[in-house]
Amino acid sequence: MTTAVQPTGGSGGGGLERPGGSGLAEVVDSILDKGLVIDAYVRVSLVGIELLTVDARVVVASVDTYLRFAEAANRLDLAETGQSKGLPEFVEGAQEKGAEKKVKGAARGAIDTARETVEGFVERHNGGSRRKSSTHARAEG
Amino acid sequence: MSTEHGWYVYGIVESDVEVLPGNEGVGDPPAPVELIRSGEVAALVSRVDVDKPLGSRADLFAHRDVLDAAAGAVPVLPMRFGAVLSSRTAVVHELLEPHADEFTDALNQLEGEAQYVFHARYDESALVHEVLSENPDAMALVEQIRDEPIESTRDTRLQLGELLGTAVEAKRSADTDVVIEAVTPVVAAVSVRPPTHEEDAAHVAMLVDIDNSGELEDLLDSLARSWEGRANARLLGPMAPYDFVTTTQG
Repeated sequence: MTTAVQPTGGSGGGGLERPGGSGLAEVVDSILDKGLVIDAYVRVSLVGIELLTVDARVVVASVDTYLRFAEAANRLDLAETGQSKGLPEFVEGAQEKGAEKKVKGAARGAIDTARETVEGFVERHNGGSRRKSSTHARAEG
Repeated sequence: MSTEHGWYVYGIVESDVEVLPGNEGVGDPPAPVELIRSGEVAALVSRVDVDKPLGSRADLFAHRDVLDAAAGAVPVLPMRFGAVLSSRTAVVHELLEPHADEFTDALNQLEGEAQYVFHARYDESALVHEVLSENPDAMALVEQIRDEPIESTRDTRLQLGELLGTAVEAKRSADTDVVIEAVTPVVAAVSVRPPTHEEDAAHVAMLVDIDNSGELEDLLDSLARSWEGRANARLLGPMAPYDFVTTTQG
């Protein structure tokens, strides 16, 4: 048995857990089906504890999805796309307008990082900052 | 003899790490997070009542918080949620000691690195506009269902939705490639996560040298700006390398 450092993913289709809150969704994505599986390392003293985790998978390619997409298309205000004005032009115009409007306020906040939990949790005995391993082997990704 | 409590295992770290006081783990009430050491490796653990189920929102967040906080400072191998051993002795003799070499090796590989997750979602109306503009067949179907009741146009709607869904999948795939290409210069590894929503534009986990994290943020910020109005993007991290540890039998 080896503990290899390598990607576990793969470009799977299908779906994944999708509970209510977006914060919770991210957590569930990370901890319920990823990470080392204890059973692979320990057998004798494993405690089977009851887990009440939600398994609400979203099926990306489904009838529901298709009906939703269709309704989204139906809802679009296509009045301006009428025969006189081609749709591609309209789309281009709409996107430029949308971009212009949003860029000012959102440029800085385009990416938000969640790092507030990082500080002050663990520290090394031997002090100092993180050292780099000199023999730095990495898995190809 | 039955045990009333067990030891919940969050992950594996090097043994020269110390947990600062005041950190609480899973369970209700939560117990403090501690370390069980064995040679060069140690397990991040806390006591849990084995008769109470785990999996509340607080439990899930506690597991994540312990690991991500650790990952911000030192290399950590995250365990999957729900790992419980019967005693401290079991943690040492069954988990840490027999697997010390592979844990040490994996921790060495992760030295100086942390995971980030990039997650982007399309703006729905921008997405539909974009797809329809590129797909005259779909546009024709939209005209057919316009202002018609769902009941009489269900088949057409499904046909339209499937066209749109397929087109969105192709866009997601292309945009995911754009993300991977953008970050390749600064990441050690990437792992594509499955979409969690039908309008996901990209969902990519990345293993990054901490020293490159600023550069990574800059690159992805540029990308997010170029998608402004089209998709909203988020970068989460640094976090534990959930997507880059695997257990393989061998």
